[in-house]
Amino acid sequence: MESGLVALVLNSHLPFVRQPDYPRFLEERWLFESISETYLPLLRVFARLEADKVPWKISLALSPTLEAMLGDSLLRSRYVSWLSSQLELAEKEKARCSGNPVFAPLSEVYYELYRKNYEDFTVLYGGNILGALDFYYKKGRIDLMTSGATNAFMPIYRNYPEATTAQVEAAVVSFRAAFGRSPSGFWMPQLGWYPGVEETLSAYGLQYSVVSTRGALLGDPTPRQGSYAPVSCPNGFTTFIRDVAATDAVWSETKGYPADPAYRDFYRDIGFDLPLEYVGPYIEQNQIRTFTGFKYWAITGKGDQKIPYSPDAARGRVAEHAERFIRDRIGQATAAAAHMDGRPPLMVAPYDAELFGHWWFEGPQWIESIFRKAQGVDGLRFITLSEYRRSYPDNFESVPEYASWGDGGYGGVWMEKSNDWVYRHVFKMIERMIELAERFPNESGLRERVLNQAAREVLLAQASDWPFLLRAGKSGSFARKQIEDAVTNFNRIYEMLCANTVGTEWLTRLEKRNNIFPNINYRVFRRKR
Amino acid sequence: MNVERLNGLSIEALYALADKMGLDLPPALERVFVVEALLEAIEEDSAERKSAGDAAVHIEEKKYSGSELDEIDASIDAAPCIECRYNETVVQVIARDPEWAFVFWDVKDEDFDELHASDAYSHLFLRVIKEPGYDGKTSASFEVVVGDEDDHWYLHLPEEDRAYRVDLYAKIGAKARLLAHSPVIRTPRALMSDSLADLDPDAAELAALSGLASLKIVPAPEHHPSRILGAFDD
Repeated sequence: MESGLVALVLNSHLPFVRQPDYPRFLEERWLFESISETYLPLLRVFARLEADKVPWKISLALSPTLEAMLGDSLLRSRYVSWLSSQLELAEKEKARCSGNPVFAPLSEVYYELYRKNYEDFTVLYGGNILGALDFYYKKGRIDLMTSGATNAFMPIYRNYPEATTAQVEAAVVSFRAAFGRSPSGFWMPQLGWYPGVEETLSAYGLQYSVVSTRGALLGDPTPRQGSYAPVSCPNGFTTFIRDVAATDAVWSETKGYPADPAYRDFYRDIGFDLPLEYVGPYIEQNQIRTFTGFKYWAITGKGDQKIPYSPDAARGRVAEHAERFIRDRIGQATAAAAHMDGRPPLMVAPYDAELFGHWWFEGPQWIESIFRKAQGVDGLRFITLSEYRRSYPDNFESVPEYASWGDGGYGGVWMEKSNDWVYRHVFKMIERMIELAERFPNESGLRERVLNQAAREVLLAQASDWPFLLRAGKSGSFARKQIEDAVTNFNRIYEMLCANTVGTEWLTRLEKRNNIFPNINYRVFRRKR
Repeated sequence: MNVERLNGLSIEALYALADKMGLDLPPALERVFVVEALLEAIEEDSAERKSAGDAAVHIEEKKYSGSELDEIDASIDAAPCIECRYNETVVQVIARDPEWAFVFWDVKDEDFDELHASDAYSHLFLRVIKEPGYDGKTSASFEVVVGDEDDHWYLHLPEEDRAYRVDLYAKIGAKARLLAHSPVIRTPRALMSDSLADLDPDAAELAALSGLASLKIVPAPEHHPSRILGAFDD
């Protein structure tokens, strides 16, 4: 008998960073590193599982900003240049480490990683990662979901239905353009849910989402099956509930699998450890030290002296952690099943995709391993969210409460002293955008282009990534500039429209730089009555 | 941030970072001690954030691989370069969690000049109004005096699962003049909708198995009083 179901949900997201005015740009590396360390390794995992006929199922939320960047020809070509540079460094590393019995094999591992990435990206996928995902989507292996247009933390904007609707509409339109069909699932950025958002989501044909355990357990009324079954809102929209134990197994910084001493250390990197004259060409402007991706040490544990990374030792731990994950889920399902009226308990395990491979180097191997190990196990099966919804359409009726997966469980991460100044500006932009949409409801030609660009700038300013980075103290100047640029661009457009003048050259340049959401319709900001 | 990266910073940047982290270090301390103090503070900060519960967001930081500019960034308290206000009379409120809301406001220059022209003008204040709830209670309010130079505030709201509005007033003599009012917000629930007694034993067990205790979620008592009724002048 089936005692439990597991839904592995990966949230793939990066903020929109595209700087055509510069020959290379530090923050564009976020995308390049994620392609190299997460997306391509995961695609290789999927190919191996397919080849071995292992049943695997993943729900994958792809944010519209990442979708746009993966499909962008400039960023694709820049990725190939960056990859060539990484390959060059890998060659140099092989030469530097040759003769060293410990580090020479590791330098080979990196060389092979970048060589394979180059081959896969340029030849196998022809630069089209979205196409590769679509292949598995059509096969029913990946349940692709969309997400907020620019990863806005939606509860903050709940008093502006025009803004939340714009986040949903732009996402759905982008998804249709990329994959030729409408999405059914919507990932709430940061799992930021609030009561009432289900009406907006349903209006665009979306059927399900994932909420935090806190939001669900505080729902009205209290769910009768805890986090082990989704709940349905009164309008039929389904909310799946994050499973705390499955998430903590990977997420906990101290007890999670990625903290194992045998795994590769994320922080020790030759970009910081080797002389500038050696790493100069591969870091920023030859002098600003940054991560290169070449890391030779294991996490090791407490103490100053790290031990060299051993892929074999790490592989053994991957197998153990995959077994433990399966065993613990079976134990959890068995305990829950006794209270479930015959329906198998569902454990929804959502994670950020970029942490597999990038932060947790062995993460893709672990994903492969859990599917392989679950194959021969009775009583546990992987399932996608849409498949579950089809199998179990009737659920307990409840509306989850406003909550998130951030520290403290609500909106504190995105609203505190380091980042709260953002909202004065973004709220003003939204109000002015509503005003513009009301004043100019039927524009065409140049004025329509201007209004659409204004709508893009509003969406870009709503990104939760920038307040997040301001709080984290990481790339803070860059984050601040992203918000300031969006506000400045928008205000300039607003003033141009008020003065009935348009700087076409400036507008064209801006459209080329911030070229996301080509099919946006500014009228989405018309007042919701 | 680790010891290697701290060692790469200038002593001025280390002091600036210490200042930002709230460390009161004696001047001209040897570099090694500054680094040690910073590492200790970073570790404490990290422990606090872990104990705050949900580590998902903290882990999310890892995907934005940084550079040594991060530390320099962190040591600079840069104000936004864009214009900070729109010269309008307005008040906005956003619910942050069950207890706190972020309020920001502005008074346009013309209105401010008019206020200051009056000898009777005393101060600005926020009136926090609890909107009538579905329990049929009438609205209630309390006031918070704010400075003329202030433009934002975190307000502690006495009750979870309540609707609030914030009005911005000017105190002129014995009278209060309404300048602007915010939209209505609702604080999220902090207690479960149902008490354990309302749930059947299976549902209560499944709630427990879902992590009720680790998330520190409290079921509703059978009759729970409002937390700080005294804050209102009903």
